Amino acid sequence: MESSSESINYYGNKPAQQVEDREKKLKPTERANTARELYFGAKSSASMEFPYWYTRRWDELDGEIPIIRRAESLKAGFEHLTPVIYPGELLAMGKASFLRGSYPMPWLSEAFFMAAEDRLYQEALESGKLTADTFTTVGKGGGNVTKSIGKVISIAGKFGLRVEEMPVMLEVAKRWKDRSVDDVGHKYEQMVPGYKEKEAIMRSVICMFDSGYTLPQGREVMNYYYPLQYGIDGVIHICEEGMNEVAGYPEMDRLYFYKAVITMLQGLKAWIRNYAEEARFLANLEKEEKQKAEYSDLAERLDHISASPPRDFHDALQMIWTFHVAVLNEDAISGLSPGRVGQVLYPYWKRDMDRGILNREKTIELLECMRIKFTEIDCFASMGVVGGVLSGNTFNNLCIGGLKKDGTSAANELEMLILETGISCETPQPTLSLLYDEKLPEEFLLKGIECTKAGAGYPAWVSNTVAMEFLLNNYGHEGMQMEEARAWAIGGCLETSPGSWMPLNLDGEIHWIPGGSAPATSVGVHFLSLPKILETVIFDGMDMRTGERIFPAHGLKLESYDELWQAFQNYFSRAVHVLTLTNNIQHDAWRKISPSLVNSMLKPDCLEKGRDLGQMGARFNTTFNVESCGNTTLVNALASLKKNVYDEKNFDLATYRKAILDNFGYHTAQETGSWSLIDQKPNEQYSEYQRIHRMSLDAPKFGNDDPYVDSLFKQWEDWFCEMTHNYRSLYDQPMYACQISVSTHAPMGAVTLASPDGRLSGTTFSDGSVSAYPGTDRHGPYALFSSATCWNHSQSQNSQLNMKIHPSVVRGREGSRKFLELIRAYMRKGGFHVQFNIVDSRMLKQAQADPDKFRSLLVRVAGFTQYWVELGKQIQDEVIARTEYEEL
Amino acid sequence: MEQSELTGGYIFDIQGFSVHDGPGCRTLIFFKGCPLRCLWCSNPEGIRPYPEPLYKESKCLFDLYCLQACHHQAISVHVGQDNPRIDFEREKCRKCNTYDCVKACLTGALGQGGYFISLTDLYARIERDRLYWGQQGGITLTGGEPFAQPEFAANLLKRCYNALIHTAVETCGEVPWENIEPSLKWLDWIFFDLKHMDEAAHKHLTSSSGHRILENARRLADSFEGRMVFRFPLVPGLNDSDENIRATAGFILSTGRTELNILPVHHLGREKYLLSGQSYKLPGLEMTARDQLITIQNRFTELGVKCYLGSETPF
Repeated sequence: MESSSESINYYGNKPAQQVEDREKKLKPTERANTARELYFGAKSSASMEFPYWYTRRWDELDGEIPIIRRAESLKAGFEHLTPVIYPGELLAMGKASFLRGSYPMPWLSEAFFMAAEDRLYQEALESGKLTADTFTTVGKGGGNVTKSIGKVISIAGKFGLRVEEMPVMLEVAKRWKDRSVDDVGHKYEQMVPGYKEKEAIMRSVICMFDSGYTLPQGREVMNYYYPLQYGIDGVIHICEEGMNEVAGYPEMDRLYFYKAVITMLQGLKAWIRNYAEEARFLANLEKEEKQKAEYSDLAERLDHISASPPRDFHDALQMIWTFHVAVLNEDAISGLSPGRVGQVLYPYWKRDMDRGILNREKTIELLECMRIKFTEIDCFASMGVVGGVLSGNTFNNLCIGGLKKDGTSAANELEMLILETGISCETPQPTLSLLYDEKLPEEFLLKGIECTKAGAGYPAWVSNTVAMEFLLNNYGHEGMQMEEARAWAIGGCLETSPGSWMPLNLDGEIHWIPGGSAPATSVGVHFLSLPKILETVIFDGMDMRTGERIFPAHGLKLESYDELWQAFQNYFSRAVHVLTLTNNIQHDAWRKISPSLVNSMLKPDCLEKGRDLGQMGARFNTTFNVESCGNTTLVNALASLKKNVYDEKNFDLATYRKAILDNFGYHTAQETGSWSLIDQKPNEQYSEYQRIHRMSLDAPKFGNDDPYVDSLFKQWEDWFCEMTHNYRSLYDQPMYACQISVSTHAPMGAVTLASPDGRLSGTTFSDGSVSAYPGTDRHGPYALFSSATCWNHSQSQNSQLNMKIHPSVVRGREGSRKFLELIRAYMRKGGFHVQFNIVDSRMLKQAQADPDKFRSLLVRVAGFTQYWVELGKQIQDEVIARTEYEEL
Repeated sequence: MEQSELTGGYIFDIQGFSVHDGPGCRTLIFFKGCPLRCLWCSNPEGIRPYPEPLYKESKCLFDLYCLQACHHQAISVHVGQDNPRIDFEREKCRKCNTYDCVKACLTGALGQGGYFISLTDLYARIERDRLYWGQQGGITLTGGEPFAQPEFAANLLKRCYNALIHTAVETCGEVPWENIEPSLKWLDWIFFDLKHMDEAAHKHLTSSSGHRILENARRLADSFEGRMVFRFPLVPGLNDSDENIRATAGFILSTGRTELNILPVHHLGREKYLLSGQSYKLPGLEMTARDQLITIQNRFTELGVKCYLGSETPF
């Protein structure tokens, strides 16, 4: 009961006692521990096997119908992947023949992984495609290969490629020049009027990425129903029947689609059987009886699922994993969420438990193996994407809780064990999200609290009610009703994604299992830097960092706040307009050159309609969105301008322009080597700007329940969420707002000058979408919650609130109950999402200084959990600077 | 508006999501002003009964904007052998209600400790927080000493109690009984501090003999209908002798109440002494080790007192 009245301490924090560790510690099983140690020692490794065979087959089939050509190429890739099985694995198979394996997909884009001096790379740089890469850092520790070592060459700043494969990579990449989705899309996007403005927007990093060729799939929820129900042979049979029905009739594309799915599935069958063969080979070599039996068992299991539906829980888990990897191998994908796996698998699990062929211990072992497998997933993409968006994370979000088809609680015992293994086997993947609903039982929620308190950063808590309201508002016109809205889950880091109920028939009994029924979300306009757009408003359309004109001069004197706000709306709308059109073209190139086959086969109702995802085969297709970054930094900047320039007239705008250009008299973030505001150092010009900087810092800040600034936040949200509906996606559906920063607030902050809220040049923006700027929420969590909920979250696909809580606040049984009350209060107030780092800042600083000792330390960034050592320094600084809520 | 106890009072902080000072998640209101001068006080900025400047020397660049802004000649520059520092004649600050020095400061070195808040504003804040408390929760008045502003305390408690909000107070007891009495019917819970049973020792530790404290404790224990938990700030070497433990237990049992919450004294308030221009009197104090605390807890239990350590009080 000590007052924390630190009213004069602005950015940063105090405590100085001993470092508090997290409370709950459980150990993984021996098997999982061995696998995790193996993972810790493994480097991100790229191989050229799949792309070589893909490209070779593609070239052989010049002139073939595109979707057939694509299927044959995928088949060739899958057939030729070298199977690798590690001792002790209960679940086998992976993306490539390395533990943390992945490979480039030059059919999407080939420029970014070329050597920097290469001509292709230079061209890409000029068109603004790669500007984001140059301002992004990836973590130096962990499995990242940031420098070439010996015979391993570092590519895209993260992946190691064996030197002998380098010529193959270059040759394959060159074959795709002018043929990749990137190059073809680029050719046609230039036909959009105002295209030059788009290039300038990309070069200024007002927008972080193109959409169509970077990560064209993902941020969506998987659906494993068809292989679970019918087995691969069963699905082939469905396709054969489909072919018989449509051959020779109009809409002939259906014929090619069915044929392509069959071809692709034959490739998958061969791939699975190659693994079975490898398991048999290992069984023959193995002397130790137990391991020998496990290899044989694995071989038999893989053979079985290569044709037939699963017989038991273990089969079903392997089947899910196999198809998860298969989708990841057809495209560059992040955020492929397995969805509500605990509910999908529950019927198998319950049957095995009832039969006595499975027990709790065995289940935990299997679920831990699943965690390791998901953690091994790497995504091969450019440095800007891997570092700037993903922080090396792949966002395989597993959801628990929520409601059943009939509206009752969907939480079950298997989900309790999923939470349990989230504690015992801490790994970043699959990250967990708890779909909070008032109907969920207390026992389940408190188990979720126990897991959150363990400190790995999951589960995130998301509101079922807010998500369903959002889905009904945005998918109602496609026929979604309340019952189907309940089947939703989080796709990717935090994207509310539509789902459907699938009738799984086990022994004649129907179990309604939830699964995704829409293609990728978070495609469209990727991450618009709101503070950077405000900067161009203040400087009449110019990017003052580079001296380049971005938008046409508005010519306004900006004499009133309304005029400023309108100028902002105008520039923002221009950016959304041109990026929507260019990205639609990119996605059109994607669906023509690289249509999805594995994912299309899985998603209802592609098989029924005979159409792939690019032809609106899915049940719901309103998935394109417009993403924002730096919401709170924008609104704090607006509040400061409103107060200091317009309401109180303390300074005029010209004074602000000068202060911004001179960085309020501070050294740059690059000079200080830290991206956190608290570490910045004044230079000799400081005294000139002292007053304007102090008054900017003292202007009202979001997160303190202050109506002056919260009303501006609401004004922004109401306008933004509504204006996005005016733009139409490739599938002629209205778009919607998506508000997650992922890791983009670091690189986007790096290219943005000082902002009128007092933030200094190059420093990281606020994270998430309703988080306070680090250190500026000074009135406790209740004030923060009140600010965060000053608008209706269901207007947007998501909102994101990140909090850091000191372990001592939530210690013990009483701490658990009170922690749940805190979360529940936020959900009841209409908050969509909240997640926590239960960690002592001083521990993070120790980890920054001595990464080797903290190899397994997990922290929560903006929507995902990651190993501390694999985060870029920009993001590390931001997490340390977040206000820590503690009791004293 | 007139700043009287009828319309409001002086506080120095409001904290939401407090989890250790009563049932559930609570909002704590820190009253400004305290009659005691405990050596270990962890909220020194709450001792003086009126607002005051808080000065963080490490942030000061000696621009002296504050000096120019002050209308009361309360600020002077002190240049000694060490670094220069700014001094405040805090008695003069008492007259001030504009705090121009704080507004003029550009480095963040100056802050305002304490402010007047109207009952209306304070209650609005409590109503907001109420949405977040959860199943239990409520308000706890602490400080400083809540009963040093008796009408403000009673008015606030009455308003909350009538709105079915759980009310608690933490008091040092060093006030006239008349200050306490009007609040009692609006209270659900009292934490009552006991610092030492020996008059001379009490005087040394807190600057008061403690006579009135024990008197008020007895009267409260008799007449208060809610739950009353004694609190014992454990200061190693100063009040943890077995003799004092026995005396404390004896006193508690003699009142007819049985519960005691031990709070080990800590150093976390140390930096705040400098902010409010005071000096910390126990710089060499060691924290009591966990096993030692348990020994003391066991001793109280043997003597018949229900004893809880730190935040482990069952609410």
